[in-house]
Amino acid sequence: MKITKEIIERIEGEATLELEWEKEKVSFARIKFFNYRGIEEILQKRPLLDALALTPRVCGICSHSHAIASVQAIEACYAHAGEFLHVSQKANDIREIALNAEKIHNHIKWYFFTILPELKRVSDPTYQGNAFKEKQWFHAQNAIMESLKMGAHFTGQWPHGSFVMAGGVTCDPLKSDVLSALGCLDVVIAFCEEHFYGMKVEEFLSFDSALQVMSAPSALSHGIDEMIHHGFDRLGRSFDRFLALGKSYMYEGSLKASKTAVLSADIKYAHESLEHTFFENRHKGYTYSKSALYKKSYYEVGPLARLMVAKEPLMRDFHRRFKDAALTRVVARAVECAHLVWRTKKLLQELNLAEPSFIPPKKDIHSLSGEGIGVIEAPRGSLIHHVVAHQGIIQSYDIITPTVWNLGNGDRQNPSTAQEALIGLNSFTKADFILKSFDVCSVCTTQ
Amino acid sequence: MKTEKSTIIWLQGLTCNGNSHSFFNYPQMPSFAASFEILYHPLLCGHENFLSFLNSDSSFDFLILEGALSHDERILERFGLPFYEILDNLASRAKHIICAGSCASFGGVFRLRDPLKITGALFSGKEKGGYWLEKDNVVNISGCPIHPKWLVETLLALHLGEKVLLDPFLRPKEVFSYLVHHGCLRNEYFEWKVDSHQLGEREGCLFYEHGCLGPMSHANCNKILWNGVSSKTRAGSPCLGCTEFDFPRVALYETQKNMSLPQTPFGISKRAYYSLAGVAKSFKIERLEKKLIDENN
Repeated sequence: MKITKEIIERIEGEATLELEWEKEKVSFARIKFFNYRGIEEILQKRPLLDALALTPRVCGICSHSHAIASVQAIEACYAHAGEFLHVSQKANDIREIALNAEKIHNHIKWYFFTILPELKRVSDPTYQGNAFKEKQWFHAQNAIMESLKMGAHFTGQWPHGSFVMAGGVTCDPLKSDVLSALGCLDVVIAFCEEHFYGMKVEEFLSFDSALQVMSAPSALSHGIDEMIHHGFDRLGRSFDRFLALGKSYMYEGSLKASKTAVLSADIKYAHESLEHTFFENRHKGYTYSKSALYKKSYYEVGPLARLMVAKEPLMRDFHRRFKDAALTRVVARAVECAHLVWRTKKLLQELNLAEPSFIPPKKDIHSLSGEGIGVIEAPRGSLIHHVVAHQGIIQSYDIITPTVWNLGNGDRQNPSTAQEALIGLNSFTKADFILKSFDVCSVCTTQ
Repeated sequence: MKTEKSTIIWLQGLTCNGNSHSFFNYPQMPSFAASFEILYHPLLCGHENFLSFLNSDSSFDFLILEGALSHDERILERFGLPFYEILDNLASRAKHIICAGSCASFGGVFRLRDPLKITGALFSGKEKGGYWLEKDNVVNISGCPIHPKWLVETLLALHLGEKVLLDPFLRPKEVFSYLVHHGCLRNEYFEWKVDSHQLGEREGCLFYEHGCLGPMSHANCNKILWNGVSSKTRAGSPCLGCTEFDFPRVALYETQKNMSLPQTPFGISKRAYYSLAGVAKSFKIERLEKKLIDENN
């Protein structure tokens, strides 16, 4: 049996993909992540609120997501101790605006900085990339910046802004701040319309057929054509099982889906496995990435999962044609981006500045004992923070990141979502692209 | 005027990628692209280029380091190679070494897991001697993360052959002679010792109860602003002191006090500060007790 080892690059961090080959096809895959940093350990024995400042440092591309998951975990700690904090609608809206700014930026960055050049590399391995060269790259970089600037009106900065506090948010924006943020969002929308979708966002969102998207000349339809050309409309399929544990305006509660059947889900069935990690066995382990499972099964999380459980019509049509292939996964990020710019515009227009930003808890945080879970939908999927505190001091802190859901390491009988997507492929180039279709974040994984 | 582009290799140690992503927010990217050529950046280029460069003996202009460093290959490896092999090889051929962020400068957050083995390039916290004991071509641009303008404008100055003045922590003085306090919109509340009663409001200073380290943290955040529009203090959050060697301190949202007195601002004697604070505090300034924007009046 042949085994190959390749480094996966141009992702967030670095991973090694070890493939086992039988009859020229991938028979099994191991996804290895190194360079562990240990934020969970660093948080132990620190005051609870330090988590708000330190967990964003898990990940430079989704720092707001970690801040929000962290504040929710602390608020759940208060609830566990008997005090249910009221977070104003305004504060909740500001948290969602911040999260959306991060997601919109992520999806644009990923599509234009990673997916388009990677597709070119599939046909031409000598291709040197578009960064700092092609006009479209500069346009995309500007849109990314404007999306983050939109959010920074409320979060102070990106990456690593601090703007949340147990009981609300710390900022108290003026109407002029909101109007300025809307101006930034308009720049992002104009970019999406001109470059990403090739049509008005409103029109794009009215579609329920893949053919409507594919017939308009745009960066998205170009990417779809390329993916079909390389077979990614059939390759990269996995279990067709989806999970979205965090809240969204697009659906109610926590949900899971098996193909198109949507059922309610409960975070209590989410669990971590240390199998194959250095944590379990220093010598036999081969990765620092834990695996996350739901009732012992692997599920896909992320934009495709969110849109599938929300029964979004356009995504449903892509899924009907291509199932959970790499193409569907990529398109889901583009489709979610359109929903998010529209949703965020509405949130900004309707933000009620008369409400309080922050309502202080009654209980002194120094005497807070208990535990809490924060779960949100980060750019790449469900993100869970679990904290246990005694007298205001962190006893343990556990983070399950989206990449741990998608790119875990199961075994042959029960492979993870990404492993399943890789089995049966006939080239490393294809495996590399399919792995990237999950929008891999190695830094989150080895936090 | 220099017409040739300067070359950059961007290498990551133990990092969250935050400095790379902050760099991608540089607002005048076409100007950057006109002066620099990135030979390798982990988010943009393949390792084929990198490894062939590694095996060559070509020199280049800037080695940008992001993330904390370690000689221990069990802690840090890249491309299946021990990190020190890569770093030592490249460092010997780089004209300038730029530490992008507090991790590469001082060790930062990730140093806390194992301060003996994980350090910055020339410092471990405030102590001299990090990954290297000495090196004369290192510039530290601390911050968690860096502001994109700190990085690019330092690169540009060096590219143009300008002399960049450095402070004792090897940080560019043009950025790090300022304090985060400079330009903070809450300055008047600081002058008159009016505390922010609670978070989530525009009024009051965050220095007295909420842990703000603005008066002792070196950086021009409130001069040039983040993402062009804001800063931590403008968003109502305390400065966490992320540009300093001791970031992150413990209890970041609490003001550390000695005999119920806060630490004094950078370079101000206790006698001067407490005398003046006592006088300022003895006056009740009515305007500063009210809301900044009074809807009823």
